Amino acid sequence: MIRFERVTKGPIRNLSFDLGRGGTAKILFDSEDRKNILFGLLAGRQRPEAGKIFFFGEDLFAHAENERLALFRRIGVVPADGGLISNLKAWENLLLPAWYHHGLTAEQAEQPVAEIFEQLEAGEAGLKRRMGELPGQLSLYERRVVALARAMLMEPDILIYDFTFAGLERDAAQRLMNLTGEFHGRKAGRVSLYLCPDDAVSARLAADSTITLTQ
Amino acid sequence: MGTTLLNPGRIGRAVLGATDYWKGFHELFFYSLRRLGALGRPPVRQVLFKQIYFTGIEALGAVTVIAALSGIVVTTQVTSLVGQDIALTAKIMLWTVVRELGPLLSAIAIIARSSSATASELASMKIRGEIDHLRFMGIAPGDYLLVPRVAGITLSVVAVTFYFQMTAIVMGYAFAAATGSLPFVKSITGVISTLSMIEVLVSLLKAFVFGLVISITSCYYGLRATGTVTAIPRAATGAVMRNLLTVFLLDGIISYVFFV
Repeated sequence: MIRFERVTKGPIRNLSFDLGRGGTAKILFDSEDRKNILFGLLAGRQRPEAGKIFFFGEDLFAHAENERLALFRRIGVVPADGGLISNLKAWENLLLPAWYHHGLTAEQAEQPVAEIFEQLEAGEAGLKRRMGELPGQLSLYERRVVALARAMLMEPDILIYDFTFAGLERDAAQRLMNLTGEFHGRKAGRVSLYLCPDDAVSARLAADSTITLTQ
Repeated sequence: MGTTLLNPGRIGRAVLGATDYWKGFHELFFYSLRRLGALGRPPVRQVLFKQIYFTGIEALGAVTVIAALSGIVVTTQVTSLVGQDIALTAKIMLWTVVRELGPLLSAIAIIARSSSATASELASMKIRGEIDHLRFMGIAPGDYLLVPRVAGITLSVVAVTFYFQMTAIVMGYAFAAATGSLPFVKSITGVISTLSMIEVLVSLLKAFVFGLVISITSCYYGLRATGTVTAIPRAATGAVMRNLLTVFLLDGIISYVFFV
């Protein structure tokens, strides 16, 4: 489902891996710069200097922009800063791709979103009340929860987590970790790729394979 | 001063800048035209409605004041010049308010409010990486950001222009009637009987062209911003200045083509 063939870009040299159906992998980084380069490659924002990247067996850079967009409809991305649109409220952000692509209304989304929040809140009230706020008024944890719920509503085949557990309180990170693990198993063949800092929190994350990208 | 103006480097940069602008303008114009169907998606329509609300409805307060004052100034000047000649006053009101002031002042009001706002909003979204975030969601940034803004601003400029013309004429004659210079009902009837369809259509054509120019230019300056936050005010001022120059130029061209 995700295949890197001898990909080279800046400090990343000849990176190869193949993440098949149903697999989970974590890539550990000792530098955020290195992670940003890899994230840029995965997002199709930067071209590799050498090598190829495949999603669903298709070369990411062999396609025109609109075909690449069609690929991304099957991929959920949870950026480190949440990747929210600044002039939309949290709830509008959460709903945007599902509303845009599948016509999902707020009423239809309420139940699945409530379930996600229930799993996350665990004694911490108020997540729902924060949905009327603009992204600038949300904490990092709240922004990531919105991004996570937004990706989950699309029921993607591939999920890419960009430093999703980094920089959060231990409990909050654990709750997000549990949720992503549970979500992974909900659809047969789903692939989860975690980009993580090489730290103690990431060490707790269970994955089928681990790639370490350090100096 | 002369040396600066004749500096080849400066002239070269200005030519390159203008060439880039027209190239970008054509790209965005044809993209918007090709992808107009994106307005069928509810989230895109939501952006369209927000844009119409911001550019059209929220501008009405300021436009009402400008239109009323313009109407009053024109009728005062005209009646001081031609006296109580209702037919001639009506003709001059049409030439000035419907043909020129309506489209031009409405466009200027919208450039001041919406052009700078649109350019800086898009520039800040671009700098914060939000355009890429839309791509991650499989959403074409042009469909979601460009098409509804171009449609919303263009429709708003046309509607605001029509509103400006009506307000200026009614308020101008109301003021003249209040000061005893002209009878209100007779004057309004005089304007309606003098008004031809071509006058209305050409003024609305002007408004439509101005709307397209304002919206596409604002989006162009916003979407080409790169680097740091200093690019945001640069995008806003660039859009405003380019819009003002282009709108005045087009106003002259359209007036010459249809009325000379």
